[in-house]
Amino acid sequence: MTTGQSDCTLAERLAGAIAIGEARDDERVAYRAHLAGCPRCVHALGGEREIERIMSAVVRARDDERWEPERRARLATRRMRRNTWTLATALAAAVALAIGLPAEKPPLNAPPQRALSQHDAGAIAALNTQTVPRREGRAESLSVDAATTFSTAFDIAVDQRGTPRRCTITKSSGFRLVDRSVCRAAMHAHYSPPVQR
Amino acid sequence: MEACQGIDATAIAQARTEALVLEYRTKLARYVRRMVGDGEVALDLTQEVFLSAYRMLQADPARELNAGWLYRAATNAGISFLRRRKILRMLPLDREIDGSTWRVDERSAASVDLQAALARLAPEQSAALLLTSYAGYSSAEAAAILGTTSDAVRQRVCRAMRVLRTVMKEVTE
Repeated sequence: MTTGQSDCTLAERLAGAIAIGEARDDERVAYRAHLAGCPRCVHALGGEREIERIMSAVVRARDDERWEPERRARLATRRMRRNTWTLATALAAAVALAIGLPAEKPPLNAPPQRALSQHDAGAIAALNTQTVPRREGRAESLSVDAATTFSTAFDIAVDQRGTPRRCTITKSSGFRLVDRSVCRAAMHAHYSPPVQR
Repeated sequence: MEACQGIDATAIAQARTEALVLEYRTKLARYVRRMVGDGEVALDLTQEVFLSAYRMLQADPARELNAGWLYRAATNAGISFLRRRKILRMLPLDREIDGSTWRVDERSAASVDLQAALARLAPEQSAALLLTSYAGYSSAEAAAILGTTSDAVRQRVCRAMRVLRTVMKEVTE
């Protein structure tokens, strides 16, 4: 029995249908018949059971999937809710970080030009921190426990898509480790893109 | 009057987008992540999809936006990302996109194989494979999303399977 190029193309479609799990009985029969006369396809595509085994590995990987888009997905909602008062300029958005401070209390007089709303900032989970924008401008504090408080000021450069590009410490806390963690956390956040004026 | 309509449209668009985000964000981000092989990129692309859904609903709050629309937008975003990166990789100036691009953080062996195999597929093949397996669409539904025929989807899935088969053999042997 000889098979042509078009038969093998057809066999590929049948194999695809079997993989997707939508092959009808007559299609399965046709596939088996083709394999019986085409060693090349047996080698290249494999039998029904093998196709199903590979596909089930894919489905198993999907079912085992534990990865969660939590952090940024939350930002997507927030950003949309607040996009009427996003960042005024592309540069210089200051964020405040505070560990151990209650984040539930929203700041009074939240300034509309801030790039990061309190909720957005709350998503800076990199440091497992609670974030409270304290004042408009640059001052913020990072308190590691009730007794120790650090203050670091920094600027974040944000590109057109809201991705932070550069973090500059403008006032050091005196501890390079703290400064670095603050910048790292700030660089992990996603910001509202600058509003074109 | 116009202002009132504007507020109304925005509120409806927000509510509808949030419902979409709640229902599909995980599925969609996981799908895109498998396609591009990078979680951060997947989050970016998924966010773009929801933003464009939002803009679309803002312009026309009554517009029908379903899972198929979201998957189509995400697939297109993923494919164009993969193509862009392929071009960038051919250029010598690719430092910025290297390194973090192919992180696989799962522990399960099946998952690692899968990502390694997906990395070798053409974007259209991995889209077809993921739409029919990961997202659970039939070949006809995937064809509508990809703008092709059901036969073409079946064939792409088969071609993708061939690559998967080779990779899995390499891993187990």
